[in-house]
Amino acid sequence: MTEHVLHVTRTFDAPRHLVFSCMTEPEHLTHFWGPIGTSAPLDQITADARPGGAFRTVMVNDADGSAYPTSARYLEVSAPERLSWIEDHSGMTVTATFTDLGDDRTQVDIEQINVPAQMMDPAAQAGFLTSLDRFAAHLARLTGAQR
Amino acid sequence: MTRTVEQRLDATFAALADPTRRSIVARLAVGDLTVNELAEPFDLSLPGISKHLKVLERSGLISRRREAQFRPCHLERPALDAAVDWIEANRRLWSERFDRLDDHLRTLQAPPNGDLP
Repeated sequence: MTEHVLHVTRTFDAPRHLVFSCMTEPEHLTHFWGPIGTSAPLDQITADARPGGAFRTVMVNDADGSAYPTSARYLEVSAPERLSWIEDHSGMTVTATFTDLGDDRTQVDIEQINVPAQMMDPAAQAGFLTSLDRFAAHLARLTGAQR
Repeated sequence: MTRTVEQRLDATFAALADPTRRSIVARLAVGDLTVNELAEPFDLSLPGISKHLKVLERSGLISRRREAQFRPCHLERPALDAAVDWIEANRRLWSERFDRLDDHLRTLQAPPNGDLP
């Protein structure tokens, strides 16, 4: 009954252990966690990277100072291959997979799922094959003229 | 009944998690269709299609006019747009994060004396 809502992938010119550290250590997260136009203050990041540990961040809008706190719990921390957390408010589960491509290059795949992973049965997991974001892009093409 | 944005999105994503329902939505994106017209390309009975339409209707993705004899199905753009916008916003968030992570990784791995190779 569920599948991933969003899949984002990126390759970095850095060894896998370093990329994994960047995603789990506040001293690194503060440099990139906030999107453009925001910052993620170091003193407001909690990253207790172990199953059940808290993962809290605040994104502060550089222009007007408005703050967007998010609170999550880690579900899986398997350095340096996989990391997942569930957001307290939305129940959204995010899984980051780190693949060593050799030559100090690392691929990161982000999957967001809108139902907690522990509630999914194997049949539901098999449904992961199609992603809604591709469907959304398809629809946007179909109906682009009408938006 | 008022539902939170998250609850509405949950219902939308749950409705879209089925390939038959995605196909129905994609066809309605082009224009309104009756149940019979929707049933044609699928190996499904009318009651089977009706079940999918009920899920889509409950999620707010489609509506059916009460008065018309054939009750054509109509795609509710705002509900679909909310889901598509959410996906786009999150895609952009990760894309910007990764741009900055890329910069951060370059800084971390730069030679200590600052000379370019």
